[in-house]
Amino acid sequence: MTAVKQGAPEEGALEEGAPEKRAVAVPPARPPARGGAVTLRWVAARVLGWSVLAGFAVAVLYPLLWMVLSGFKDNQEIFEQPWGLPGALRWENYARAWELGVVRYFTNSVIVTVASIVATTLISAWAAYGLCRLRMPFGNAVALLVLGGLLLSPTVALIPLFRLLTSIGLFDTYWALIVLYTAFRVPFTIFLIRAYMIELPREVDEAATLDGASPTQIFWRVILPMCRPILVSAALLQALFAWNEFAFALVFVSDDAMKTLPVGLMAMQSRLLTDWPVVLAGLTIAALPTILLFLAGQRQFIRGLTEGVGK
Amino acid sequence: MGALLTRWRTVVWVLPAVLLLLVFVYYPIADNLRLSLFSWNAFSPEPRFVGLDNYAEAFGDPVFWRALLNNVAYAVVSLVCQAGVSLVLAALLEELVGRRLRGLLRTLYFIPAATSITVAGVLFSFLYNPRYGLVNEALQAVGLGHLARAWLGEEGSAIWSVIAMSQWQGIGYTAVLFVVAIQRIPREFFEAARVDGAGPVRTFFSVTLPMVREMTTLVVILTISGAFLVFNEVMVMTSGGPDNSSQVLGTWLYHQAFFEDDMGYAAAVATVVFVVTFAIAALQLALSRRRRDDA
Amino acid sequence: MKVRTTRHHWTALLLALATAACGSGGTGGAPATADLSAPKEKAGTLTMVTKFADPQYAPYFEKVVAAYEQANPKVDIKLEQVGDQPYKDKIRVLSASRDLPDIYFSWAGDFANKFVRAGLAADLTGQIGPGTSWGSTFAPAALKAFEYGGRNYGVPLDLDGKYMAYDKAVFAKAGVGVPKTFEELLTACDAFRKAGVQPIAFGNQYGWAALHFVTQLNAYDVPPATLRADYDPATGAFTDPGYVTALKQFSELVGRCGTKDANGLSHETAQAQFIAGKAAMHYVESVEFEVFVKANPPIDWDIFRLPAPAGAAGDPTALTGAPDGFLVNARSRNAGLAVDFLKFLSSKENAATMTKDFSWLSPVKGSATSENAAPQLISALDDMDKAGQFAVWLDTVTHAEVASAYLSGVEGMLSGSRTPEQVMAGVRDAAAKARKEVG
Repeated sequence: MTAVKQGAPEEGALEEGAPEKRAVAVPPARPPARGGAVTLRWVAARVLGWSVLAGFAVAVLYPLLWMVLSGFKDNQEIFEQPWGLPGALRWENYARAWELGVVRYFTNSVIVTVASIVATTLISAWAAYGLCRLRMPFGNAVALLVLGGLLLSPTVALIPLFRLLTSIGLFDTYWALIVLYTAFRVPFTIFLIRAYMIELPREVDEAATLDGASPTQIFWRVILPMCRPILVSAALLQALFAWNEFAFALVFVSDDAMKTLPVGLMAMQSRLLTDWPVVLAGLTIAALPTILLFLAGQRQFIRGLTEGVGK
Repeated sequence: MGALLTRWRTVVWVLPAVLLLLVFVYYPIADNLRLSLFSWNAFSPEPRFVGLDNYAEAFGDPVFWRALLNNVAYAVVSLVCQAGVSLVLAALLEELVGRRLRGLLRTLYFIPAATSITVAGVLFSFLYNPRYGLVNEALQAVGLGHLARAWLGEEGSAIWSVIAMSQWQGIGYTAVLFVVAIQRIPREFFEAARVDGAGPVRTFFSVTLPMVREMTTLVVILTISGAFLVFNEVMVMTSGGPDNSSQVLGTWLYHQAFFEDDMGYAAAVATVVFVVTFAIAALQLALSRRRRDDA
Repeated sequence: MKVRTTRHHWTALLLALATAACGSGGTGGAPATADLSAPKEKAGTLTMVTKFADPQYAPYFEKVVAAYEQANPKVDIKLEQVGDQPYKDKIRVLSASRDLPDIYFSWAGDFANKFVRAGLAADLTGQIGPGTSWGSTFAPAALKAFEYGGRNYGVPLDLDGKYMAYDKAVFAKAGVGVPKTFEELLTACDAFRKAGVQPIAFGNQYGWAALHFVTQLNAYDVPPATLRADYDPATGAFTDPGYVTALKQFSELVGRCGTKDANGLSHETAQAQFIAGKAAMHYVESVEFEVFVKANPPIDWDIFRLPAPAGAAGDPTALTGAPDGFLVNARSRNAGLAVDFLKFLSSKENAATMTKDFSWLSPVKGSATSENAAPQLISALDDMDKAGQFAVWLDTVTHAEVASAYLSGVEGMLSGSRTPEQVMAGVRDAAAKARKEVG
């Protein structure tokens, strides 16, 4: 995407501000200028359009709503009145799911996610800084290396990684996931941050250098604070990735006490196959953090996505 | 001399990233290519060199082709839904909906993409349950009871049911990308079209579609490479069954590696996935490079 | 064999192969050097890994360990319990790194045999073999399951057999008696169908449920010597016509007694239907009996063996099932102490507690009584005593390639895309591949 070209970083999040102004200037809900009159066809088209939008909203939301509601039901209600409301708010289902493993998986997910966010963001910010603000030997080779990293997919590396991790003793540890989540996301994050950093005015560094600041000081005191918006985007996207990652977590962690939510939930489902409400309550608990995070940081999320997608 | 030293010291900034990439991304991929030429399992002391036998075995294995075909099916359906349907949704959203509601709908549409695939997969395996699942209940309710089936348990429907779940998760995500792209179209273009007397449909084809071409290309590429990397969805919902009918390359290589302990074969399948996705990703890169050069 | 998705079995075999591979290098095949004699002073540290992390089972082992430590204050037992699936990964890594604990869990059959072949399991014949006082406390069939080359290697912990559970009320209402032959079972199913009841609650979502039927039918239809040779990866051929017969019988059984959606239903969902009185029968392992015992509202149920077809060529007394148990590390420096602890674990008192705590049958004679076990469990135990041999689960007894071919083939047969002959053709291909790999 060419987001950076259209909106310099200091302009902030572009996906909300500017376009919305346009929406006010040209109210979208307006009969065609041509006929002037509101024709039947026009009405029919609008009704159709609206029903598509509404229908999709229902299709998207209903399964999730059903999940949340069924978490309050008992088995009989789920099986006999699948469409009905729960007869009572059985919070105990949620409590049971929590005790039956969700709390452990949740904690593991938090540990792995937080650690990989910190590692990914820092390592990427360092590299982005080195790549675009310092003169470095083999800078191009490094950039190419990072770029190449974007083209490689984790699934392909499953088997050699299994060998590697068992031989260096990382198999079945949090570190396996933290290291891999960082390594495989560093290229994307570097490019995300670099695109932003590159737009920061050079004069900032120069002024700081004249004041006698070292590159290290410039990075921590000047550049990093200025990059905060994109760092937030990067962190949010990393959170979404690490919280939901499945393949690595499935293969490289086998101890139930160390499983993250996605894999843990599967284990839980196979343990509690007949106890639908508890499993569904567990699913709800697992889904909440990323949904809330998305709702809270929507703008940063979408900025990160739209910029990252084009890199 | 001092200047040179200073310059070399800057390498420290990229060192952690470079090391991580070399050890955990590049080395494994290279190792995979090598390992695919051997017959070995995780514990055999000495892998036995077998040349291209593993590839020959894969290409002669009907399940391999079945898996590849399923990946293609995944790609086709995802293209139609995540590049086609979601663009229409995005255009409708921009055309019909006022500002407040639009933000709300956009948020709603994105929510499935923010939930994990495991959550979605387990949830949908409940919905697909042959006895108590909502899908069959709904069919019965509207008089289509004869269509009810064990969605994930029949060879004819398993992979399609998984693909359908993926679309549920993916459409909103690409729709949001398209919304952003549409919002970036200069307002004057729409004005001009209106002045010309173009209706919404014609505006869509003459303004929106050409102007979001870049994003469309990107979404197409993302969708296709995503379809060849599919793993979680299938793993969570069917593990490739019944009778391997819903295997995709990702799950097939996992199955070979960790169920049948045929690591060499699995590495060969991984190489195929690598070649396909690398080609697609390189294409994406080339396209975005060209775009940058054009600009 | 508690949590049983197919995946687990593969890993079990993977692990088994792995350990075999480990053993073949270095000291592999070397005679066990462990000193198994009773220690002069009970002191030292023992390590033990089980697969019983499940909150249902874990406390029992902790309890036993604590009791032993209390009785022997100088002994420190480091007990590690992991889940069913993690155990397979764990023991694989431990044996690869030559870091096996003193006492470790094992399934019977080829899983244990691989450890034996790799020289990783101590020969316990002198302690638990025929004629020993400890050995005489166990049911012979259970000890036999851990026998390899005429020597004893395992201390059996529990007994698990596969039985047809039936709802007495549903049977009475439909006027059906307990079927004595396979053919009678099919006729009974027809009667239930006519009465509007689902005959057998059968869920085959992960494939293994079907293989348990096939395990039993293979044992009925194929001569025992042929079966043994075919299940051995080095000699497996699967050319006996009995295998096709078994698949045809199973196919007919599902057609007349099961439901079309079996591949999409989990075993547990099917079980729930049986418990709810919506089905007449359900094929279960004795370790699952507790679910029925605790059913609320209670059900009136009993068990019978899947009856043998008339004139079958195999062993009509074989029973699908197997014991689980513990092996002692052949290189353990505290092997004597380990044996002493296992003797304690398998005391009649501790065995009875296990049966009481989670309704698992122990191979220790006299450990199940009407006081600690449901009547169905006791009749299962009586029946297992009568079983000539255990037919070990088809998906664990065979090579992973063969098991995989069976799993997907039978799934295909159930959904109508393969004939029994085609399934066996796939199995034969897999067996050839396995022979090549092992030989």
